[in-house]
Amino acid sequence: MSNSAQDLQEQIAEAFSEKQPVSIQGGGSKHFYGCPVAAPLLDTTSHTGIIAHEPTELTITVRCGTTLAELDQHLEKHGQVLACEPPDYSGKATVGGMIAAGLAGPARPYLASVQDTVLGCTLLNGKGERLGFGGKVMKNVAGYDISRLIVGSLGCLGLILDVTLKVIPRTLAESSFAFSVAKEQSAAFVNELRKNGLPVTASCFLDEQLVIRFAAGNKEIENLTIELEKHYSFIQHSLFVDDGFWLKLRNHQLPFFSPDDQRSLWRLSVSADTDIKPLLDTQAQVLTEWGGVLHWMKTDKSPEEIFNTMSSVAGQASLFRTSNAQDGNTTPRFQPLPSALKLWHKQLKAAFDPAGILNPGKMYPGL
Amino acid sequence: MAEDLLQQLISRLQRVLDKQYILTMKEQLTPFECDGLSVYRELPLVAVLPGKASEVQAIIKICHELSIPLVTRGAGTGLSAGALPHPEGVLLVLSRLSKIHDINNTTLTAKVEPGVRNLAISEAAFEHGLFYAPDPSSQIACSIGGNVAENAGGVHCLKYGLTVHNVLQLKGFTMSGEAITVGATGLDTTGFNFLSLIIGSEGMLMVVTEITVKLLPLPQHVEVLLASFTALDAAGQAVSNIIAAGVIPAGLEMMDNNAICAAEDFAHAGYPRDAAAILLIEIDGSAINVEEQLAIIQKVLNESGVDSLKIARDKQEQALFWKGRKSAFPAVGRLSPDYYCMDGTIPRKSLSEVLTYISALSVDYGFPVANVFHAGDGNLHPLILFDANIAGQLEQVEAMGARILEKCIAVGGTITGEHGVGLEKIRQMPLQFTDTEIIQFHAVKEALDPDNLLNPGKNIPLLKRCQEYRALSQNLQPNKLLSHDGLAHQTPGNQA
Repeated sequence: MSNSAQDLQEQIAEAFSEKQPVSIQGGGSKHFYGCPVAAPLLDTTSHTGIIAHEPTELTITVRCGTTLAELDQHLEKHGQVLACEPPDYSGKATVGGMIAAGLAGPARPYLASVQDTVLGCTLLNGKGERLGFGGKVMKNVAGYDISRLIVGSLGCLGLILDVTLKVIPRTLAESSFAFSVAKEQSAAFVNELRKNGLPVTASCFLDEQLVIRFAAGNKEIENLTIELEKHYSFIQHSLFVDDGFWLKLRNHQLPFFSPDDQRSLWRLSVSADTDIKPLLDTQAQVLTEWGGVLHWMKTDKSPEEIFNTMSSVAGQASLFRTSNAQDGNTTPRFQPLPSALKLWHKQLKAAFDPAGILNPGKMYPGL
Repeated sequence: MAEDLLQQLISRLQRVLDKQYILTMKEQLTPFECDGLSVYRELPLVAVLPGKASEVQAIIKICHELSIPLVTRGAGTGLSAGALPHPEGVLLVLSRLSKIHDINNTTLTAKVEPGVRNLAISEAAFEHGLFYAPDPSSQIACSIGGNVAENAGGVHCLKYGLTVHNVLQLKGFTMSGEAITVGATGLDTTGFNFLSLIIGSEGMLMVVTEITVKLLPLPQHVEVLLASFTALDAAGQAVSNIIAAGVIPAGLEMMDNNAICAAEDFAHAGYPRDAAAILLIEIDGSAINVEEQLAIIQKVLNESGVDSLKIARDKQEQALFWKGRKSAFPAVGRLSPDYYCMDGTIPRKSLSEVLTYISALSVDYGFPVANVFHAGDGNLHPLILFDANIAGQLEQVEAMGARILEKCIAVGGTITGEHGVGLEKIRQMPLQFTDTEIIQFHAVKEALDPDNLLNPGKNIPLLKRCQEYRALSQNLQPNKLLSHDGLAHQTPGNQA
């Protein structure tokens, strides 16, 4: 075991024996996400490095403190990428943070989620025990799927020491187009493109335009304009292509996401056939991704109202960035859980972290 | 079980379910005594066949209140005795929950009941230009509920993923009978990722009564290639070379000579009987995309020493190429009264080492082996041929199988890629996991099913048995057997 892993293990074991909560943090790039944890920081950034990369096996094993920027750079040399396109926030985000937050980027509905990318992991549970789950192969159904369970758990179940991820070959070419399509029609439009065999890998509705990214082999992308002109009227928007539009969207760096905005930023996810319009604050500004599934909304509406509205359409809301940092500890960030699921959360938390020391309250109060 | 408790159980079941769907007689129960792995057999006390979710909930509540074990069963095609009945328990057969509620053309999803057959989903989605990607070889018969329980794979996993990658939401009941929903059709799920935990949990954490699966647009164009090789190694290397060239085929399967001959005799698929190995390669996408992939693959195969290469002329020939592969299990079954199917998964680079090891074991134990291999994702299916009617053969085959699985672990793989642990591989679990990890699995089970009533005794071994299993394995297997420089010569009679 590396020194850094041993060090992290000792810190958690000590915290466990003293019942002293810890706040696990990697690069701190997503510090605004989830409720603040009032506990001493447990910094994972010294536990870094790529443990193994087998390009022809399409797998890579990497330590939690490694930045996504470093990982991407390494994969690029081998013509590979992570399919889930997690935000890397100007190079600060770490692999551990990616798994803990479980936030995937624009390619999510078309290529993969963060959990889809995970094959195995090594964890430290709340007793400081080192545990390995999943594996380094594409398929593995031995035991419960803890390595995917851990995705999005915000450090409340364990500290992720390292993960094995599935990687995919980088597509050789990509091209983006903006279409004049009514927002309500955008899901159907994207589906139609996909059914026509067009390689959609991202979609975004913003400023009354539907922007779609296509990625594939060189010939296919060269031929794309001809294919599209056959069937659709569209505007090719060079801005989107040249200006790193998708990278900015992935990293929440488009002007829409500006932290200067005084309103809270919400992330609403609903089934693509849900008519979201009546649910929105008329004043709210909205950016829609994932073919009508993910809606980013800036609003002053109360969390309670938003959660209730989302609950009525079986959707999920999360307060991605609160306008009032002072609210920190008290404002709920995530969609409240129904009672049976709440009980499962409580019991599962106790199964991994019996003393309740790992990121307590980060996701839900008492968890 | 005490007679009065049994009477109480039956009379309470009769209040929630029509009598004809409550089976208690031996002749009624016998068809349910095993799943697809028939070497394990057990009769349940009672089998119930509810027709709707509310009946399932009522049955769960009764079992919970009476503390009676509950084993859920789908179509019974599982290959690890995961649905083996509990002798003191109720077998919950979900085959009557077979409605497809909805194929949604906007969300590209299907909402189905667990008893729906895997293939029936793609058949229903076809008219919308959609399909459900995971396609286990048993897809004609196996149910989606069972696929969820086992996290079933298939021949298209490398590109399209396993069940866990293609299910968005599950609805059902906890063991206390509470309704619960995990996952979401809106993709984001707040809270812990219970969806991934439930998928592949072998019916030990909840009972699922509604499944929302992701559907994909049918590919515009498909090509199927049949490449033959004079050496297994070359075929294995060709697979790595294809992936290194940046192509992810929709399907990438390998068969060895024994499997080729069996499949060819059965299906007349046009497989070359003299080849050491064949690769079946399917590529799909738009016409241009397929053309690009095809050119790359042809070049790679030629550079990798392919002996002959056929591209299926039309849909009929494509189906024929696949028929050979998809019927490989029954085809091999014709060669011998019984066969035992393994499911280890390995890093592909270890293929040659593991296959060499398996052929040495085959000679040593005296059982022929046919190898069918999901080459793209490293999932091996060695089929060991034997005769269960000859005393001692089953035990010897199990011992040989155990050693194959141990080898899979030794090269960095796993004991099961898609069939599940069930009862069959429970003795190998302590070789893949430490005691601390096993304890953590039990803690997860206890968190979601505190009374240990859902499918008890499967998947995760009792801690007190782990040392015993490891010791047994040590005795069976001197260290040098783990190396690939040859096997110690023990006669099968020496195997425990």
